[in-house]
Amino acid sequence: MEFKVALGPQHPALHEPISLRMTLDGEIIRDADLKLGYNHRGIEKLAESRTYIQNLYLTERICGICSHSHTTCFTQGVEKLMELVPAKRGLYIRTLVCELERVHSHLLWLGVAGQEAGFESFFMYTWRDREVVMDILDTISGNRVHYAMNTFGGVRRDIDELQKKKILDSLDLLKSRTEYYLHIGASEPTFVGRLSGVGMLSKESAIALCAVGPTLRASGVPMDVRKDDPYAVYDEIPFEVCTADSCDVLGRTVVRVKELLESYKIIEFLLKNLPAGPIKVKAPRKVKENEVFSRYEAPRGENVHYIKSNGSDKPERLKVRAPTLANYPATIAMLKNGFIADIPLIFAAIDPCICCAERLVQLDNPRSGESKVLTFSQLRQMANQRYKNVIFKKKESLWPF
Amino acid sequence: MNAETIVEKITSEIKDKIQETALTAPRRINVKVDREQLLAVLQYLKDQFGFTHLATISGVDLGEYFEVVYHMSNAIATVNVRILTPRSDPKIPSTCSVIPGAILYERELQDMFGLVVQNIPDPRPLLLADDWPAGEYPLRKDWHFNRPDEIIPGGK
Repeated sequence: MEFKVALGPQHPALHEPISLRMTLDGEIIRDADLKLGYNHRGIEKLAESRTYIQNLYLTERICGICSHSHTTCFTQGVEKLMELVPAKRGLYIRTLVCELERVHSHLLWLGVAGQEAGFESFFMYTWRDREVVMDILDTISGNRVHYAMNTFGGVRRDIDELQKKKILDSLDLLKSRTEYYLHIGASEPTFVGRLSGVGMLSKESAIALCAVGPTLRASGVPMDVRKDDPYAVYDEIPFEVCTADSCDVLGRTVVRVKELLESYKIIEFLLKNLPAGPIKVKAPRKVKENEVFSRYEAPRGENVHYIKSNGSDKPERLKVRAPTLANYPATIAMLKNGFIADIPLIFAAIDPCICCAERLVQLDNPRSGESKVLTFSQLRQMANQRYKNVIFKKKESLWPF
Repeated sequence: MNAETIVEKITSEIKDKIQETALTAPRRINVKVDREQLLAVLQYLKDQFGFTHLATISGVDLGEYFEVVYHMSNAIATVNVRILTPRSDPKIPSTCSVIPGAILYERELQDMFGLVVQNIPDPRPLLLADDWPAGEYPLRKDWHFNRPDEIIPGGK
């Protein structure tokens, strides 16, 4: 006997509308199916009718968390089409915002993971610390979410000595807090017990299903666009690619915490080696006919833009592939043969209420497939029978029944 | 091994299967193939150089033809394998037998360009709404969005 349970597209705990259909055998998920498109806005079509500089601000609005990721991916692609060499100082500031965005995204994810694992204080701690990064981003760009830092040829805002000092001071606090989270992630028994072995994704299937980002790295594949295909100034920065071999949610948590520590090192390096000079160079308006495939390591994984130009000031085609789409086939593989109770953890940001979704009117035996319908009076009778001879105790006192 | 040696090896080993190969930028290789040879070329790239990661599949409307670009990556370079398929007969082979992770990108191509992916394991629509009219493919150049006339309920 198979059950089908639907989750979404509208659900109070879902951050975005997505529909998930699961085929269950008892409590075990045998198959999962995704339906997308509830948030499809037609950005690729819209981009064909806008100029490059307008598209820069359009791509910023693809995502709220990875706003800088999409503009950087688009900007560096268009810069290659324009055969433009961006200003060195501009590239350093651009990379700095990239890493700050990674820090704020990973801290946010850690909090969500803590909440889904039932570790509420972890959620409070990480989100409090995330405010430190948000403040830094606010001082650099003037915005908390859409930074609007990028422009063709460099960045739009410079940073001064005072801001530099403030960022470095804040980093010390973040570093010590993150080391504490690494300690918790590796040694707190309830947290480790809840996360380990959940959402297994073997190395072979992670590669076959083209997973990206921390999901792939937690399955032991050291793929990181910053190392494999260095963009901006990543070829000058010393850093390590963080991986884990446990292939489960615990591994993904550890990878992200380790990446936070690497990001702090990168930010420190960038600030201490910030070259003097202009922050941007002048860019042409029209772009000659060509095409470019731009890759970027967003906090969630590899982000890809494919831009084809046609000689005018508008692109012929802009194809965007955000990291989450690449991870969906892997997510279905992770859900299979897992428990219903693990869906929120595997889907991380999703907190479904399976038990409220379907009311009990029909009792099915999952093994034999037999079913019987109970009326409300029969249910009440059963409940009375069950509680007839039970004595309720609270500590030592009898409850007044 | 670097991108240059990959280009040399591709041109010498599977010369009969490809139309042209070029190194367009650092770590970017362009390969143009016939659509009949696509699966063989992708399998060769995967086995020989470890191009296992399909970043995405891009479709472009060129008027009489559709261009379909498969972006394959490994730790050294990215190969853009492109095929052309005529508008009158927009068929492409499914690559899911070589790369299982291609399924969502192929379903997206079917939705957006009306390409017919042959032997696709799961042909259902992916992104468009359930009541989307048949035969309308929004990313084709001849498709334009016409905003329907606003009707005020109970208005004059």
